[in-house]
Formats: sequence, C-alpha cells, structure tokens
Amino acid sequence: MLVSETTNKPLPEITDQTRPFWTAASEGRLLLQTCTRCGTAHFRPAPWCIQCGCRDIPWKGSKPTGTVYALTLSRVVAMNLAGWQSELPVIMCLIDLDDGARLYGQVTDCKPEAAKIGMRVAAYFEPIAPGVAIPKFKPA
Amino acid sequence: MSPSVAVVGTGRTPYSRAKPGERVYTVDEYIAWAADLALENAGLSKSDFDDQGFGLAHAEAAHTVNWSAATAETLGLSPSTLIRADQGGASASALLIRAAALIEAGVIDRALIVGADTPLSIPSAAPGLPLSPERTRGVFWDYQGPFGMMGATAQFALIKQRYQHQYTLTAEQCGKVAVTTRFHASLHPGAIYRTPITLDDYLASRMLSDPLRLLDCVPIVNGGLAYIVTSAATAKKLNVKPAWLRGFGEANNYYHGGRSRPDVTATGYVKSAPAAFARARIKPTDVDVFLPYDDYPFIVAMTIEDWGFCAKGEAGRFIEERNLRFDGDFPLSTDGGQLSGGQPGGAIGGFAPLIEAVTQVCGEAGARQVKNVRYAASCGFGGIPYGRPGRSCVSLIFSNEA
Repeated sequence: MLVSETTNKPLPEITDQTRPFWTAASEGRLLLQTCTRCGTAHFRPAPWCIQCGCRDIPWKGSKPTGTVYALTLSRVVAMNLAGWQSELPVIMCLIDLDDGARLYGQVTDCKPEAAKIGMRVAAYFEPIAPGVAIPKFKPA
Repeated sequence: MSPSVAVVGTGRTPYSRAKPGERVYTVDEYIAWAADLALENAGLSKSDFDDQGFGLAHAEAAHTVNWSAATAETLGLSPSTLIRADQGGASASALLIRAAALIEAGVIDRALIVGADTPLSIPSAAPGLPLSPERTRGVFWDYQGPFGMMGATAQFALIKQRYQHQYTLTAEQCGKVAVTTRFHASLHPGAIYRTPITLDDYLASRMLSDPLRLLDCVPIVNGGLAYIVTSAATAKKLNVKPAWLRGFGEANNYYHGGRSRPDVTATGYVKSAPAAFARARIKPTDVDVFLPYDDYPFIVAMTIEDWGFCAKGEAGRFIEERNLRFDGDFPLSTDGGQLSGGQPGGAIGGFAPLIEAVTQVCGEAGARQVKNVRYAASCGFGGIPYGRPGRSCVSLIFSNEA
C-alpha cells in the first residue's frame, strides 16, 4: 500500500497478481478470482482457493450488487491518512456480493441514519489514480 | 495427569505514554528491563538461560529476518533454542505452549520469554507517526486502505455492529466492563490510567466509529513484559510459588461457517477454550478469575460466551448480572486489563492477561487479589483478519495446584 503524496490517501501497489482487478475496476467492472473446482469467489486476490486449495482461480466478472452485512460510521481519521478528513464521516461497510464474496466498501449517496444492515446496494467505480479505481456502493 | 510446566517468574516494566520530556526507551532496553524483573522474581540469573530456551514475541519495531537471534546477541544470551511468535496479541500465550512442548520433550528445561514494543516512538499507527511496514505491506493492505478502511477501530466497529444485529449487547453492558477495568486499574500501580470513571463518563465519551466510543478503545503505551517457564522438577527446586499450566488450546484463522462469508460474531475461542478445559479437566464454573484479551469491551463479551461462561448471545446479560470486581462473583481483568492498564502495541499486550493470571494464582496481586484462587484463565487474541475478529485465539488455564 502506498500513500498518495497529493491526496494523502492510500493507493494500492499494483502487481502482476492484482493488475486485472484494478484495470477492470477503472473500466467499471468488478472482477473476482473464482475457483474452477468449487466455485468459491474471492474478493481479495488469493494464491489459491481458500476453500479447496485449487490454484486454478481465474478472474471472472461479478454482478455489482450485494447486501450490507455490517456497517460503521467512521468519524475520525486513523492511521494518519489525513486525506480522508474532508470526506468524514464515512459509512464503511462489509458487503456480501450476490456472487459470493464479502468486501469492505463505502456506501455513499445515503444518509448515515438511513444505512442499515440488510440494505441492498450496487457498486460504482471511483477513479483514485490513473488506471486505478475502487468500487463504492449506492443504495440499490 | 500431573502438569509438566509452570511459570515461575514474571516481569512488567512501567509503561509510558511517551509524553514530551519523558525518557524514551528502546525495545531492547524494555526487553532487558522486563527480563531482569522476571529473573529477579524467579530467583534466577541471565546465565541460567544459556543453553536453554529464549522466546520472543514479534514486535512492530522488528524488521530483521532473524530478530530473535539478533536480540539474543544484543542481550548477550547464548540459548540452545529460539522461539519466536508472530501472532500479535496471541504471541505471549502461544510462546508458552511452544515452550511447554519443548520442555515436555526434554529439549530444554526452561525458557525466558520476552516481549516489548514502543508503538508511540516508531513508525506504527500512533498519531503523528508514519505507518510501519507491518501496516502497509502486501495485498492484505492494498485491499483495505484504498477502500477507506481506517484501522482497528473501524474494523472492530463492523464486527460489533454485526454482533449487536444478531444479539443484544447494550452500551451500558459494555460500559460496565470499561468502568470495572478502570476500578481495577486504580488498584494496580502499573496501570496507565488509574482515575476511576463512571458509566456516564463512558456513555459521554465521543463516538469514533459507531458503535465504538473512545472509552471502548485500548490506550497504546510503550513497555515490556516477560515471564519464565520451567519443568516441574526445576519449579519445585526454586523458592517461588509456581503457576502450573493446567490447560491450553489454540485456534488460528478460525472461520465460523464458510470461508468466504463466515459468521463474524464468534471467535476461535469456541475451539481453543474447550480444548483448554478438557486438558485441565475442569469446567467453566471452576474458573476463579478470568483475564480476557480486552482490546474492546464487546470483545470481552464475545470471549466470555465463546469460552462457555454463558450461552452464545447471552454475554450482555451475563455482564449485567454478575459482579466483575475482584471481590465479585466473576472477577474479570483484575489488573485493569489493557483497556485501563495500557497496551504496549498490538503485538505485546497479550503478555498482560497471562502475567495477571499467574500473579492471581500465586496470590501476589495485593489490593486486587481474588480470594482463594485455584484456577485462573487467560486469553491471547492476535491479528485482525480481513472482515473478521481475531486471527489467533489462545486459551490458557493456570492453577496453584500441581
């Protein structure tokens, strides 16, 4: 993880392992490594399937929709990443994607008091650096 | 089965919040200081650990590939066996299990186990300091920071929110844990925050990441801790009260349910605690004092139920109904815990519950001593996995009876 000198926010270090994810995200698509043997979908890139150990886990397009599994309203900047300050408070969630993985994601376009566990959300993609975007979510 | 090993000495240095003007000690200085206190407590000397075991908990300050050997060199120790744990807040407890196995196998007779960290003086997560490699390296962080995940409090807030969605756990119940640890800290000269607080203080403390408030969070400190573990034969020869290791259990990377979308409201203690009870041949009701890894009161609640002191989802009510003070019916975190005692970094705080369990079992806890302790249980809890609670959960049971 790098820290942007201009925004003072974290950026991913892009490697051969992770490039497909970030490139697709910058094009508005969500990719998940999906196991050819057992079908387990991985949000974070994995070296093999965490369920069955199969190394054949190609990147596959995922539906951008899911359900909020847990949420918090982050009101303070931690880890000295001062760049977040202007965006606080942030609705940070664990989101269960319909295609099977769980990820940390921000929900935007929603009043904090309206955000609820079980809420349906859909991903959109926000560019954070040239060729890099992250999924954020809006109520669906 | 007679227990094969005992803890025969402990040491805990004064903690520091590294305020301006305070002497800043290095990790090595804290390690030597804690080791010195433990050696004195056991009536042993540094040379007693040449050709024996030396165990070291990985600290955030450490970035060399052979840190345990380098530390032996720094201390002028010549151990036959090095043990290093890199399980964060579970390291101290895991090192005891490793040392016990080595002693039981006859590889060593004793081990000096140390840990120290200075998170307020090195690259870490402390305010005003740059992030350490521990908090930035690899895919794990690449898929958190850029998404807006702001550290442990937000990570644990998500777990607490989910727990409260599935079960009842009120702010007042969590507050009772915070207030009780502060009361115990007032009785412990080494605790970092010793002025008692009220439930209203807890409820009024500012929200950092809903539902976690400021007084839900451990204060980070600089400091070091150590203990000495040895065989039954040697323990009986020393002029000390041994704390016998009667039971242990360990679970790493436990999933409650499926691996990709597990239920995050249970911890690895559901495996490690029953293993510890089975080995000790006792039941939860036999435990006289309980030392959870209390980085947040709601983790204490989850720990209480995952250990089997009450049914799943009942911890809130259990906390409400029981008296958690040292003279109550469920003495908890009698040293002030980490919540009020202080946490010498996420990697070293796990020494504190182990050392307090030993201190209580030996009857040396002074003003906070629980009466007639036969069994003390303590926890190691380390590492924050992606979207789940603790990576490593270690359960230990000590007794003053061999």
